[in-house]
This record gives sequence, structure tokens and C-alpha cells, in this order.
Amino acid sequence: MAGTVESTIKFPYKRSLGPVLGAFMTALTEQRIMGIRSGGRVIVPPLEWDPDTGVELAHDFVDVGPAGTVESWTWVAKPTAQHPLDHPFAFALVKLDGADTALMHAVDAGSIDAMSTGMRVAPRWKAERKGHITDLDAFVPGETPETHEGGGAEEPVTMMDYDATITYRIPTTANQLRSDQASEQGRFLGLKCPICNRTYTGGRGYCPIDAIELGEEHEVDLPQKGVITNYTIITPTPYPGQTATEPFSRVHVWLDGTDVVLGYQTLLDVPNDDVHIGMRVEAVWASEGEKVDKDPRMEGNLIGFLPTGEPDNTDPDLVNRLH
Amino acid sequence: MAHDNDIAIIGWNISPMVRNTEHTEAQMLLEVITGAVTDAGITRKEVDFTCAGSCDYVAGQAFSFVQNIDAIGAWPPKRDSHVEMDGAWALYEAWLRLQMDDIDIAVAMGSGRSSTADPELIYSMEMDPYYLAPLGADAMSFAAIQARALLDAGKVTERQMAEVAARTRRDGKSRDYNQVTGDFDVDALLATDYVRAPLRRHDLPPITDGACAMVIARADKARELCENPIWITGFAHYSELHNPGMRDLRSSNSTTLAAKAAGIEEGPIEVAEIQSAFTHEEPLLVEALGLGPDTVINPSGGPQAANPIMATGLVRIAEAAGQIRDNGKHRTLGHSTSGPCLQQNLVCILEGGK
Amino acid sequence: MAHQPCAIVGVGQTHHKTRRWDVSLGGLVREAAQRALDDAEMTWKDIDAVVIGKAPDLFEGVMKPELYLSDALGAAGKPVFRVHTAGSVGGTTGIVAAHHVESGRHKRVLAVAYQKQSEGNAQFALGSGRGFSIGAGGAFAPFMRSYMYRTGAPAEIGPMVAVKDRKNALKNPYAHLKIEDISLEKVMASPMMWDPVRFLESCPSSDGACAVVFTDKEGGEAAAKAGRQPAWILGSAVRSEPSQFPGRDPVAPQGAADCAADVYQQAGITNPLEQIDCAELYVPFSWYEPMWLEGHHIAEFGEGWKMVERGDTEIGGRFPVNMSGGVLSSNPIGASGLLRFSEAALQVRGMAGEHQVEGANVAIAQAYGASAQYFSMWVVANSLDPFGK
Repeated sequence: MAGTVESTIKFPYKRSLGPVLGAFMTALTEQRIMGIRSGGRVIVPPLEWDPDTGVELAHDFVDVGPAGTVESWTWVAKPTAQHPLDHPFAFALVKLDGADTALMHAVDAGSIDAMSTGMRVAPRWKAERKGHITDLDAFVPGETPETHEGGGAEEPVTMMDYDATITYRIPTTANQLRSDQASEQGRFLGLKCPICNRTYTGGRGYCPIDAIELGEEHEVDLPQKGVITNYTIITPTPYPGQTATEPFSRVHVWLDGTDVVLGYQTLLDVPNDDVHIGMRVEAVWASEGEKVDKDPRMEGNLIGFLPTGEPDNTDPDLVNRLH
Repeated sequence: MAHDNDIAIIGWNISPMVRNTEHTEAQMLLEVITGAVTDAGITRKEVDFTCAGSCDYVAGQAFSFVQNIDAIGAWPPKRDSHVEMDGAWALYEAWLRLQMDDIDIAVAMGSGRSSTADPELIYSMEMDPYYLAPLGADAMSFAAIQARALLDAGKVTERQMAEVAARTRRDGKSRDYNQVTGDFDVDALLATDYVRAPLRRHDLPPITDGACAMVIARADKARELCENPIWITGFAHYSELHNPGMRDLRSSNSTTLAAKAAGIEEGPIEVAEIQSAFTHEEPLLVEALGLGPDTVINPSGGPQAANPIMATGLVRIAEAAGQIRDNGKHRTLGHSTSGPCLQQNLVCILEGGK
Repeated sequence: MAHQPCAIVGVGQTHHKTRRWDVSLGGLVREAAQRALDDAEMTWKDIDAVVIGKAPDLFEGVMKPELYLSDALGAAGKPVFRVHTAGSVGGTTGIVAAHHVESGRHKRVLAVAYQKQSEGNAQFALGSGRGFSIGAGGAFAPFMRSYMYRTGAPAEIGPMVAVKDRKNALKNPYAHLKIEDISLEKVMASPMMWDPVRFLESCPSSDGACAVVFTDKEGGEAAAKAGRQPAWILGSAVRSEPSQFPGRDPVAPQGAADCAADVYQQAGITNPLEQIDCAELYVPFSWYEPMWLEGHHIAEFGEGWKMVERGDTEIGGRFPVNMSGGVLSSNPIGASGLLRFSEAALQVRGMAGEHQVEGANVAIAQAYGASAQYFSMWVVANSLDPFGK
């Protein structure tokens, strides 16, 4: 295959818990497992609603366990990075004493041979607890919980963090690959639809209007010069991963003699106040092998556009060329 | 007829099912939509409504489905929708839409490239965000827990599970598009190690990239376009509560509800194509659907032979339709599911004739 | 149309805020759903099916959240459906829920749309965690510049819209942004964020949810008889077009025009300006008000901004727009479309409180998404025959 592009997306989330989850997480810091009453039943882990009917539950909490019975289980021979233990363990549905539903959690049994349905387990608590489902480190075989000295959280727990990292390996299509290779040579590759004659960039591989595939036979070289038809100046806002600190421009560039308009392109060496419609610009490419930290909206090795110094194009309709 | 015989399947297409595609989702969809409309004897221009099923977390990108609209030929603009569900539910929305009475032809589709990341990491993100996802509680672990509950209840044996794997992958040889097929010895399968006990490798579905598209039409148009329309005579889906620890894992109540609502009791089902991605789910679903020994299960090979997440369910319905069009059957069933331990289930009943 | 009539008999929403750190995800959607059920005088068990809509799952880090939310919404043992059509999703959610009733499949359907933006970070999710994200403002800014050049609209039109919507929000107890001392000068003096759009001409990032209860003709008539005015759906439509191709005009997209023409035809509207009493349009950035007035056949091209300038779009004006304060005042993305749709219903039910338009019999709502390429609209009225056909 043509290769893959790897991208790791790390998701740092912050979840607010509300009254019921918050009370449960706070109890975890105190090395207690808590359920909520719904009619004659005790729901564990507690929900704000009855899971069968949706009816709002009064905050009638009750401690369960500490020990419980394994209702069903599986053996995780090779844990993932997201799993609670880094060595082989069981995931089990544990019905804690006094509960009517089962809690999913890890059982640190040492070996699959130590696991059986109906076995008794008790919680092993973490020494450091923050109000998270993993404050309960795991269940262990037997009736006796493994607890630590020290009390629970000083304030009720109201928030929890959730971090998940997933690495995606996105395949590079044949069209994309040829487009990238052209880009490494400083060439701009387009794909021209034989039916509607529209031209597309970036190895898109099909015409969205006629819904046909476009391949090597439809490739055309595009010009390197064009004119700015529209622009915006963006004031950066903070977010995880933000690297911009000062306002920056993004411009629409209409390539000469074509129907191709590239949106949101990087304009190089032009102060924000000087950016204007009609400005003539030319593509700038990274040299082969050169690694640049560039806007992902830019195609291939294209770094951005530089003014050519030619006189402006004064066509008043330029501003409407957005695609 | 006592039930709905006013909307029919008139064409479909199933992409090659592969471990790693070199195509984008839009490219896969372009191909299957072209295949499906060609199969129906129409062009994209004649399609009044489209509905796609896909998932951002499978694609690894927010708004991933927006690019897929390029595949449908939405110019001039089209009536169109998207569900973050299997294509089987996209078909459900298309089926509802045609019942508005103002348009005639719809295309439903499903697509996914589940090869792009580790399913264990992805599918734990669909679990309860406070109690389950932070444990990395993945779909395979939940499936294994449900399998154990069935084994403990005497509802299935590990041998039966291996037999399901051997049978479906043998039957799957009949489809060129399938990914994992062949002849397997049950004793040899049972001699292999557990991947997630009590599940062995053969109990798991493959990781598959693929897509499927289907054309449906209202009665008059269906008869005009097609000699043998395949009528959707019952279509229903139900959900259960989410957390598997709060459910009876030895049954699938939502499957039974969906089957009844779709009118399964009104006649025998000759073939059922069910989304039993894990082998133990087959006997569980067969029981929940109320099917007897006369019903042939997953002659296409089912999800054991190819499991294109977000399209697997729609492929089941396409295969159930194929049994009527190409194999002389009269009444068949397609099933789809979503969520841990079969949380949501959909049943689509098809009939030939008329 | 031969399909069954569908009535809206319950509407609910949360108080929208930057951070609803007092509730869980389940708690947030239930807050809106419970208000809608109360409004409809129903309980969870009265509902036959639930339709959930929201924008990207990456925003909260919960994949296919309809699974986790099914029992939170009382839907164990019921059908649960999940829609995602980018920014238009809230509108599409309402339309798909209505189809559940109009097809005759279900009698009472609950639609819920939400976003809890504070759980993650939209800029982060949109930019896949990379720097120099242009955000939605940066993406739409060139379209608005093009509109300004094309129509010759004076520069203060956008700020005038912002002032109007922010004043309307002061009348809406659920609105997120409440800027008591809002003025044209204050908007003009606010920082230029995505030139030509200023900070106070832009939508906030909100946590919030919206819920709507739909029922069949019988249910709607029963509500009316009991003194609870229903809103009847006279028409609904969606359109999509590809995001990018030579010749596409994102300023006046064909999809918007087609969607509007479709929905007016269904409702028997031939003169939108005269026959429609008020509108909730999806205006995340101020200039989208005149753009969408023109884009949906309410004003001729180049005439929409004149309606703004004349004050026509204020409550009490000839054609009030975004009485609720609009997306400019509350933006829980996935819910924003359904909030538009439910405000239109509130207006024709006469239940919009301080932001009620006098004598509102017919209202429209609209939502759009992605690169101004997904559109959803509906027309609601206080009777099935408001034009006395």
C-alpha cells in the first residue's frame, strides 16, 4: 500500500459530575462504595435516574459491600494503555453485598485459574484517591478489603478528568501520494473532471458534482501564481496545542487561468494591515526533505504565498470568488 | 396484507471487504453508490433522498461525514441526512422519509475504516463516560463477559461457538467480497489460546474496511423500475439500558421487541442475516428472534467473514434481500446491533412477490 | 401532503452557560427533557421513541453518546435514534423526530439535542489539536466580507444585528450571554476577532440542551382542547451540497434557497415576508442575519440588510428575527438548531413570555452547518390551516 499518515489525538476532557456521580466519587475517596435506592432496589453504581424507567431518583444513598460476588468475568491477557492494571487481570461484573445490580471493574486475581463465576471479591483501594472510578484500584479474591489510613477528600468531588489517547493510521490514497510527490518537486497538481471540466486540488480523487473517480489520466499542472480574492485576519484564542500568539491572516487565492480557488492560505511576509483583495501572489514550496511546521490546510509542501510585486488586479468581482 | 408493503429495496452494492483499504471513505462510498444505483437501473439524479451512517471516532476526525457528501452527487443540492449509527439505521431514516409521500427514491449507506486505529481503544469510548470508559472497558471485554454468562447458564458451549465460526467462514467462501473465509477444524480451533477468555480469536470478527449502499423506492416507482422489488414488510429497532451490569445478559429483550414490532410472527423466516459479530451472539440472537431450526443463519458468512463497522448491519439487510432476489426465498430478515452486549437491536423483514 | 399531521406539545431547554459544571451529561439532557415533558403534561413512560442529536462526539469525548443516554432519557425498551448533520443537526433532529410521527409509526416522540462544550474544547477538536486553528469565525469571515462587498451594506449592519439579538436575550431567562449595557458603540469597540467580525458579533461557546415533544393529530387536538396551544408543523425540509467546488457560492448557497422553496411550498407560503410572522434563523455571526433573510427568499438579494437597518427584524418590527437572542446569545452547538426550531414553536403557541411576538400565527426556523452546506428548516403555525385555504 501507498503508506499511512499517523496522527495521535490526545483528548483531555474535564467532566462535571452532578449530585449523584459526585457523591459516589466522594465516597470512593473515603474507601466506600455507594448505591442509590430505587423503590426496593439498590442501583450500583448509582445513577440519577432509574435505568428501567428514567424516573428521577431521590438522593437516598446506601453503602454496599465492601465484598461482593462475581457474576461474570473475562480475562484480559494483554491490557491496553487505557486499562486500569498493566498486568493480566480479569474484568468482572461484581454484585456487591446489598446491591441489586453489578459493578464493572478489574479483579486482580494473578491468574485466570483463580477466577470463577460466583467467587467472592473485595476492593483494594489506592493509597492516593482523587474521586475517580480507579480510586478502587481493583477487586481482589476474598472477603477482606485492602484499605489505607487517612480520610477522604476534604471537599466534595465535583469534577473528573478523562484522558484518552488514540493513534490513527490514515492510509494515503494513490492520488494523494502522486499529489504529494508533485508537491515535493514544487509542482501543483490538479485533477480535471472530464465531464464538467472543473479542477480539484489535493488528490481529492473524484468530482463531487459528477460523482466520478478522477485518476492519473485527469491530472493537470496548475499555475503557481494567482490573486487574492478574499481574506480574514484571525485573533488567536487559547486552546490546548495552540501555537499562534499574534493575529495572522488567511487568504483565498485564485490561480491564474483556472477555476481553482484555494481557501484560507498562509500569506508570507505581508503585515496584516497590508493584506488586500487583488494582490498578486506566488506559491512558495518547502525544498525537498525540508520539514516545516505549517498550517495543515496548506497542500503538500506548500508553505504559503508571497506577493509578486505585480500591479493589483482591480476586478470588483474578485471578492466573490470563494470557491 | 396487514403490514407495510409500500416500500421496496430495488438495488444495492457491497464493497470489497479488506483489512486495510487505500481508499477514503468518500471513495468507498462513491463506488458503492454508483454500484447500487446501477443495480437499480437509475442514476444519482433520480435519487430524492440520501442518508449515510458513519462514525467520527472510527474515522478519527470531527465532522468526518462532511467529506462523504462528495460521493452522493449532491448538486443540485439534495435532501440528505446523516446518522452516527450503522447504515441499517440510515436505511430506517430513509424508510421513514419515503413515508412522507412526497418523494419516491432514497439511497441509504454505511461506511467505515475500522483499520485505522485499535478497536479496543476506540470502542471503550462509547461506554458510560464516568464508570466504564475511564476503565478502558472495551466492547470485546463486554462481549466476553456476555459469552461467559451464556456459558454459565448452559445456553451455549465453547464448541458451539467454534462451530459457528467454522460454519460461517466456510459459508463465507460464497461471497467474493469477504475478508476471512476458509475451512476450519473445530477441534483445532478449540485448541487455540483465549484472546479474551472465554473468547478465542475465531470468536471475534475481523477488523474490516468497507461500505455498502442500498436503493429503496415507494411502491409504484419500485414496480416501475424493478421486476422483483423486495418489500420491506417490517422494520423496527429498540434500545435497552446502557450499563451491562444492570441488564440480564442471558437474553436480548430489545431484539425480541424489535422482531415482534416488525411482525416476525406473521410467517416463517427462511434466512436470517444477523449482526452476530461475536460467535456466542448467534444462538442468543436466534433465540431472541424466536427463529427455529428451519431458518438458515448468515449464509453470507456474516460478520465473522467481514465486519465493516458502520456498514455491517446494512450488509446484513442487503444479503437478506439477495436471498429473495437471487435465491428464490420468500421471507428473510436482516438484523443490526450497536452498543455493549447488544444494547440496541434493529430488525428488518423482507418479502418477495406482489 | 398525504402524511399524518404532527404537533409540538412540549418544549424545554436548559439554562445555557459557558460551563454547566453543576450537572453530568445525563443531568444536562434530562433538565431540558423534563421541562419539555412537564410542558406536554407527560411523563417518561408516555414517550414512544427518542431522537438524539448533537454535533461531533469528539467535543465531549463520548462516542455514540445515545448509548449512554438511552436510559437517562427513559428510553430502555424504546427506539433510540441518533442524528448528526453538523451545525444543522438540531434542526434535523426535530425533523427526523417529526417524521417518526408523520409516518404514523409513533404517537409521542421526544427529541433531545445538546452540547456540553466545556467538557472539551471546540477549537481544539476542530483543529485536531494543532495550532493556528481558524475556528468557525475564521471559516465564515470571507463569506461575510463577500456579502458586504456584493450588497454594499453599511459596516454597522452587523453590529446592529448583534445589539438587537443581545437585547432580545435579556428577555429570555434561558439565554447564555446577558449584556445589560449593550450598545452599537460597545459592539463596534469590541476586538476584531475574525476580520470583518468583532467579538461581540460572535456566538459564545455554551453548555446546554433542548428538548421537544411531538405528537400526532389526536394528541395535538387533545392538548388544544385542554387549553394548551400546540404548534402544528406545516412543512419541513433539509438540503445538503458539497463543501467545495468551483462555482459554488457560499454566500447565497443553492441548498439554502432550495430548502426554503421546498418548505414554503409544503406550507402554502407564496409571500414569505407577508405570510410569516417571525423567524428564528441560525446566526452565529451577526452578518448571517441579512445573508439568511436573502438566502431563504424572505428578502430579495441585497435587500436583507435594509430590513435590519429599518428595524424590521426587532421584536415589534415588521418581521422579527431571533426573538430568543439567537445563536449569538446561546450556542450549545448540537442544540442550537433545535433551540431555533423550538422557539418558533413557542412563538406560535404564544408561550414565549417577554420575547413573544404579538399575534404570531406562523413562524419559521432554520439551521445550517459545516461550510454553509447543510440546511434544515420548518414552518410551524397555531393551526393546520393558518391561511384559510
